[in-house]
Amino acid sequence: MNDPLQLEDAPVAGSETPRLRFLLDDSGFDEVPKKYRRFYRKWRGAGDVLAPNEVICPVCKVVIRSTRELRVGDRVYCMPCMSRLVVMRAEDGTLEARVAY
Amino acid sequence: MAVTSAGVATPVDVHDLDYDRFLEEVHSFEFWFEAVSGYLSGLAWGHRPDLVEPARTAEERDRLVTVLCNYCVGETAALEGASGLVAIAPNRLAKVFLATQVVDEGRHLEVFHHRLRDLGVEDPESEVERRASRSLVLFRRRLLELVAGKDWEAAIFAQNVILESLEFAVFHSHAAGADPITADVLQGVIRDERRHIGFGENELGRRLATAPHIRARLGQTKKELDHLVLDSLEETSRLIGLPRDEQDRLGRLYLGSVERLGFA
Repeated sequence: MNDPLQLEDAPVAGSETPRLRFLLDDSGFDEVPKKYRRFYRKWRGAGDVLAPNEVICPVCKVVIRSTRELRVGDRVYCMPCMSRLVVMRAEDGTLEARVAY
Repeated sequence: MAVTSAGVATPVDVHDLDYDRFLEEVHSFEFWFEAVSGYLSGLAWGHRPDLVEPARTAEERDRLVTVLCNYCVGETAALEGASGLVAIAPNRLAKVFLATQVVDEGRHLEVFHHRLRDLGVEDPESEVERRASRSLVLFRRRLLELVAGKDWEAAIFAQNVILESLEFAVFHSHAAGADPITADVLQGVIRDERRHIGFGENELGRRLATAPHIRARLGQTKKELDHLVLDSLEETSRLIGLPRDEQDRLGRLYLGSVERLGFA
């Protein structure tokens, strides 16, 4: 499960809307040490949908999960392929991750 | 878990790690051991022991044997390449990571050999030699020349970007339509390959950012190896019976990492 939990801390005056927070549980992803497993899941193919706190790793195609709603400029790590990624806005308006070497 | 000053354990949020700490974590035997324990525990020769061998025609068996023989050629190249690269790796983290990769590649070679025995091949060594694709043999020779020449960037490009991307793409497609035992073996290998392709792409990406003059040399390496890889891709796709559109998708998957590094 990947449940929106609550609104994050109050935003700084004049800044963007607060982010959703998410509780992550173990999705059965077994390619990283146990303490990190909740941050990743497998892409389930056609019909699968990314939640607001998820992006796909362009290198190894695993779904990366965050405890908070992702926004442009956020940094995330893909541990299964050891990549550092930055969240960007794709041409179709969705969020995507790009490798930051 | 992290421990606060009050001695209370709090869960680690991986995305909050600083980059140096992240790299220390993932390039360690500790990380590798915990990761592979997750998906290899309980397997026998790379697959769940309760899986049953399906019936197949002599022709289907023959095609599968040829494919597995060529997987062995690729894994042997990667094993020899990775072990040679340990000596020329530029820092401790790269050496430790490559040491884990050597273990992975040795395991891959072992499980593919064992699979050949499962299929009734009495002498896998000579069968591999007999059925080896010329393109892959030439690729292996060139890779080992780059390693022997201590050309770190070109060798890691050839092995962890080009060869590993090819294997990742092919194993993925093959696993989707393979018999249960072969698919299980391939799934375990794919999990290891994620680390190898990621290491190669990120290592080279960081180097290209600080030493752009190496780009021309790597472009030359790619040009030299591309046709060998694409020939091998086509040959394997035909043997595992992939339809044309899947072959095209596989080609795009293979090219993904080289394109991200700026080698379109």
